[in-house]
Amino acid sequence: MSYKTKTVLRKSAVHALLWIIVAFCLFPVLWMSIISFKEVGESITGFNALRIQNPTLANYKRLFELIPIWTNLVNSAFTSIVGTVTTLFFCSLAGYAFAKFKFPGRNALFYFVIATMMISAEAGAVPLFVIMRRVGLVNSLWSLIIPRMATAIGIFYLRQYMLDVPDAILDSARIDGCGEFGIYRKVVLPIVKPALASWASITIIARWNDYFWPLLYLRDSSKYTLMVSVSMLPVSDGLSTPWQVVLSGTTLVIVPSIILYLIMQTYQKSGQVAGAVKG
Amino acid sequence: MWQTLKRHRYPYLFISPYLILFLVFQLVPTIATVYYSFTEWNGLRAPRWIGWRNYQLMMNDYMFSDAIRNTFRYWIVGAIGIMGLSLLIAMLLNSKVLRAKQFFRTATFLPYVCASVAMGLIFRMLFEEHAGLINEILLSLGGSRIPWLTSSAYAWIPVVILFVWRLTPWFTMIIFSGLLNISDEYYEAATVDGASGWQQFVRITLPLLNHILFFCFVTITVDAWRLFNESHILSGPGTSNTSLFELMYTSAFKNFKLGYGSALGVVLILILLGISLVQFMVRRRTGEI
Amino acid sequence: MHRKSMLLSLVAVVLVVMVAFPALAQKTYPDGKILIYSTGQPHFRESFYQPSIHRFAPNVDVETVQIETMHAGVQKIAMDNLAGAYKDMPDVIMLDAVGIMNLVDAGLLLDMTDYWTPIADQFVQGAVLDATIDGRVWALPDAVRPQLLFYNAAIFEEYDIDPAMMATFDGYLEAGRLLKERSNGEVYLSYIDPTTYTWRYWGRRGLMPQANARIWDEKGNVVIGQDEGTKLALGFLDQLHSEGLLYRTTMMQPPLYEATDQGKIATFYIGAFWDEFLRKNLTKTVGDWRVMNAPVFEEVGTGGAPVSTYFCVVDKGDDTYVDLFLDMWYDFSTNIEERNAWVNEMERLNGPYSNPVSLDVLADPFWQEPSAFYGGQSFRKAEADGLANPSPNMTVTPQDNEADGIISAEIEKYVAGEQTMEQAIANMDKELKLRIGRADMP
Repeated sequence: MSYKTKTVLRKSAVHALLWIIVAFCLFPVLWMSIISFKEVGESITGFNALRIQNPTLANYKRLFELIPIWTNLVNSAFTSIVGTVTTLFFCSLAGYAFAKFKFPGRNALFYFVIATMMISAEAGAVPLFVIMRRVGLVNSLWSLIIPRMATAIGIFYLRQYMLDVPDAILDSARIDGCGEFGIYRKVVLPIVKPALASWASITIIARWNDYFWPLLYLRDSSKYTLMVSVSMLPVSDGLSTPWQVVLSGTTLVIVPSIILYLIMQTYQKSGQVAGAVKG
Repeated sequence: MWQTLKRHRYPYLFISPYLILFLVFQLVPTIATVYYSFTEWNGLRAPRWIGWRNYQLMMNDYMFSDAIRNTFRYWIVGAIGIMGLSLLIAMLLNSKVLRAKQFFRTATFLPYVCASVAMGLIFRMLFEEHAGLINEILLSLGGSRIPWLTSSAYAWIPVVILFVWRLTPWFTMIIFSGLLNISDEYYEAATVDGASGWQQFVRITLPLLNHILFFCFVTITVDAWRLFNESHILSGPGTSNTSLFELMYTSAFKNFKLGYGSALGVVLILILLGISLVQFMVRRRTGEI
Repeated sequence: MHRKSMLLSLVAVVLVVMVAFPALAQKTYPDGKILIYSTGQPHFRESFYQPSIHRFAPNVDVETVQIETMHAGVQKIAMDNLAGAYKDMPDVIMLDAVGIMNLVDAGLLLDMTDYWTPIADQFVQGAVLDATIDGRVWALPDAVRPQLLFYNAAIFEEYDIDPAMMATFDGYLEAGRLLKERSNGEVYLSYIDPTTYTWRYWGRRGLMPQANARIWDEKGNVVIGQDEGTKLALGFLDQLHSEGLLYRTTMMQPPLYEATDQGKIATFYIGAFWDEFLRKNLTKTVGDWRVMNAPVFEEVGTGGAPVSTYFCVVDKGDDTYVDLFLDMWYDFSTNIEERNAWVNEMERLNGPYSNPVSLDVLADPFWQEPSAFYGGQSFRKAEADGLANPSPNMTVTPQDNEADGIISAEIEKYVAGEQTMEQAIANMDKELKLRIGRADMP
């Protein structure tokens, strides 16, 4: 085999494999979207699911009657956006302190952050609810934001990135009479922008997909996030929402995060998202 | 003391939000959970101290051993599946002959963006015994229907598939970024020496990805022990595919056994602490922190 | 002088009446809303409640919140209670016997005895049976719905089987065998669900009370392992299942409806609520369905046990709207004209509705009207008839919710084919003893 045929073969093998993988990645989402446009009563079992005779928006219309979509959408957007912005701010602030300051107890505190990185707050859900009540946050969207304004993993991630910020730049800013917070805001943040952007895109999607906490803290449908409302569509006692309607709900939940991801993708260069976890 | 604090006020100030939030929303609840684990409590009447009884019940509880077995299974199968697949996909994406790289990178990342709750609802449908597409495909390939979600023997499989499906993209991206950092010179030198593709993979790629793969393994481990949405929505008969976290949730919030649920929470916390400790020690030994 | 004082008192009376009468007719309430937790699709109820409440208080609204299960509602209230968040609690919650038991146990419901006693004879007998604990009434009835047998008459005609034979469970079994034989295994007698629904609909609400089965004895000890009734009830289910008469698929999911629409499933032995599910999900077998009373065990002789649901007023330390809610509840229960109009609307929207609990409303000819879905048979009448000769429901204790989880797990393993019914019953007994030990009998 010549070198050229070998390359061609290799090329088609790589592409074929990736196309198969892409098919597996996209299929469930496409399947869902197709069914959400099928009329209730049309067969959706087996291969019938893929045949669409009379595309209809009726399922979406029904969905809007069933749950307060717009309110829930605003709630989801609010918690995702405010949650992301606050967590970026506090995590980068703490990450900066760990990366660029020498102070007593720094290592001990940083080990502590790492040690707590993997602990899940969910295990303490019962007492957490009582605490939330004490601080008056139950049934408030802030209950989803405040506890996670500064997370160990976020601090760790941004700190790794900030280690690469040259000390010389910081020192010269100090000589120019810049305050510490000013340095953080005017010098450090612009340098780590790519890291912030990638962390933001991960956080915002994770917050949008959040399920356990909103389910626990939010008490009435006007406060629900979209995820909670949609998850309640099929499981209710005495409720028989047709699958077409349920799947139009899941479509409404999934499609915005996909769009958001695609938009963010255009702002990012490859390899930056996980750049901090360097070998 | 005061002098030190004052001199270093900025870093302390910058870190303080994290410390305060940790104290209020993690440390205090964790301690309270330990306390409640020694009580019998239905949430309506006051908790009653019962000593080690919850832990004794746990030892005799087949639901607990089921949950441990299932979670262990999710962990091992999930880790092998996710790491194998993400390594493969990352290497394909990193291939020099690949065109339309950006498209493939974006498309293979999409599962991670999709909410696990919504995907769980969809997988339930796909794996349905009589009408699901998966069985229909099996039939058309000459196989027979498999009761995916209605038998204890199979019920864990859809859960693992969803778990792997959704998380693989995330680790693909991490491994991919690691691959980008491996200089081409290594491979060129190896090619000159006549090393085969497989030899290059074993001798160059894997050792250089060492730290990243360890990081992935630790993260998958934690994700597996915290698994909830997938097994909750794709539930099989009884506790045949219940995860430990789900059992805690069911005990505490569905059966009102808040004491027993807290005891399960304590076990979960101990397991996660153990994982953190191992991770911490390895990182320290390798000089990462 | 005498006349003058008489005149004066007359004026006084008139004045008092003038001042008092509007207040009597229309008690005023502060602006606000009544929050109601309910399962099902409570927004359908809002279309009745909203105009109704505005007749009593134009400045108060009704807000309904859908809860996944009644138990999820109890859980929410328990969480509020444990956090001291009484303001967040709903004013009213829809519950069944188990939920009422849990909240009464926690002292969170208002006693309705004084309100209920004077009006009791306007309602069907036993309307508050499941809401009565130690002689006190803790909730107001919303619906009492019987266990029924839905069957596809076209199938029975095709295979020449007389549905009347299904008056007893022996006949029901026989009908299943005939269907299987004559259709070459194409038609199943009914379904069996691999999840918790089998215990709920075949077990707790169906065969168990009809077989007079018990989980606990009078002292609260676990007896399910030795109980003859349990053996009869679950043994019968085992008989149906092991002979291959039950189509195994998840309830309330499209595959079940599709199989039903294709004529693969001949009957449903289930509560009257199933009516809405059939109407909403079937398209090809409309008009083929009929309803009859649930079969009986000849050994026991009583019919299907009714499932009662109730509205409970939560004791949140603020009784501002309690009277208003009671007015609204009474309006929904007894206002013939409005109720009938609302039911028509529900039929049009394929929404849920149930027979009223008020005798006056039930007597209205509206509740005998034929139903197109049932080929002209009146479903409403069949529902009322189904309440005759009821089996008493199983005794409920505060531990029954947990017990349901334990029992259902064993049934699920049985349906999955991993243990026999004998093993399942023995394991229920063992696990109930290990985890609960003894129940607090009411």
